[in-house]
Amino acid sequence: MYNSDIPARAELPSSRQLLRSTAIAIAAAAAILVTIVLPAEYGVDPTGIGRILGLTEMGEIKTQLAEEAEQDRIRMQPKNGSSAAPADDQSSGLIGRVFAELVIGSAAAQTAARTDETSFTLAPGEGIEIKLVMKQGAKADFTWSVQGGVVNFDLHGDGGGQSISYEKGRAVPGDEGTFEAAFDGNHGWFWRNRGDADVTVTLRTTGDYAEMKRMM
Amino acid sequence: MMVLPLLGTAALAHAVAEGDKGYIQEISGINILPFIYLGAKHMVTGYDHILFLLGVIFFLYRMQHIAIYVSLFAIGHSTTMLLGVYFNVGINSYIIDAIIGLSVVYKALDNLGAFQRWFGFQPNTKIATLVFGFFHGFGLSTKIIEYDIAPDGLVPNLLAFNVGVEIGQLLALGAILIVMGFWRRSDGFWRHAYTANVVIMTAGFVLIGYQVTGWFVS
Repeated sequence: MYNSDIPARAELPSSRQLLRSTAIAIAAAAAILVTIVLPAEYGVDPTGIGRILGLTEMGEIKTQLAEEAEQDRIRMQPKNGSSAAPADDQSSGLIGRVFAELVIGSAAAQTAARTDETSFTLAPGEGIEIKLVMKQGAKADFTWSVQGGVVNFDLHGDGGGQSISYEKGRAVPGDEGTFEAAFDGNHGWFWRNRGDADVTVTLRTTGDYAEMKRMM
Repeated sequence: MMVLPLLGTAALAHAVAEGDKGYIQEISGINILPFIYLGAKHMVTGYDHILFLLGVIFFLYRMQHIAIYVSLFAIGHSTTMLLGVYFNVGINSYIIDAIIGLSVVYKALDNLGAFQRWFGFQPNTKIATLVFGFFHGFGLSTKIIEYDIAPDGLVPNLLAFNVGVEIGQLLALGAILIVMGFWRRSDGFWRHAYTANVVIMTAGFVLIGYQVTGWFVS
């Protein structure tokens, strides 16, 4: 029936051997859990070994990302929850949108090719998001550089339910170029300092946008 | 003032990946121990690989036999995992995971002696372990490509991940062997071995159905 022979009793491990193996497995599992898994998953490091292995940092980054994602969800909440009077909301939203588009449209037309320069300091682990309010097809030239280290970045945009990532990078000292807004909305950078020391980022933008905004 | 409604619709920050993927996307450079950990975690928590491994060692009793088969599986999946990531060969993850489900079904049927009964011969079990190891490796490489590891330090990190996969496999194997050790000593083992392999085969079919459906609905 099987592709194998029935083993002799002597070929199997003894009961004592198996119990000893189980005890060893439990002890090993406890040690792995405390020194490796808990630091790497939750940043919980009672022995300090996880920090030496570089795993506590993993747990801290995961915890931080989870908290930020949670904050994002909370920030999205009022928008979803505010549809208590859908008809009213819709009409005022529509009117608001029409006005907004007229106002922004003319504002954008007037302020074509504005220039901004901004500078900010990021502590280790800290992130910042700066966006340009742009119409579809609008272009912006940019250059940014980091003093004192390197940063991770995501040049991206969102608006009207759409989102896009134009360019991403890890541990870079700066970037420059031009991007074109893929749709009406906010387009810009998220930077994060994953180094051990404070860094200063200086951003210079020139282009066809209505406003520079700090999102977070 | 009129600007507010427009901005309100665009409140969402950048799309952040969370968990292991989020962590990997935040780091760059050589991170040996974190990648060993991630490789081991991937294996220990990857039920498809564990099920196949369980099938492979189900009727192996001697440590040297177990070592040969586990090594063949390791050679198989390491080869395609490293080459797949290095040359960026991404196979559709639903298809590859369905094939991994098929490997579980194959091994369960093999254990039941179905090939001997149906076709009158026993297909080489070592070759099957190696070949299915190749497919499991493509499954791993497809997942790793989705992780989007930084190019800076890619090869050392990848090798560390591979070492981690083997450590995870040995840990899982140790746990399986202890449980099987107790079970094999009981008289119930030979009565339930047949049913157990049918259950493993069922799980394999569920994996196939799960992945094929995912392919169509995605």
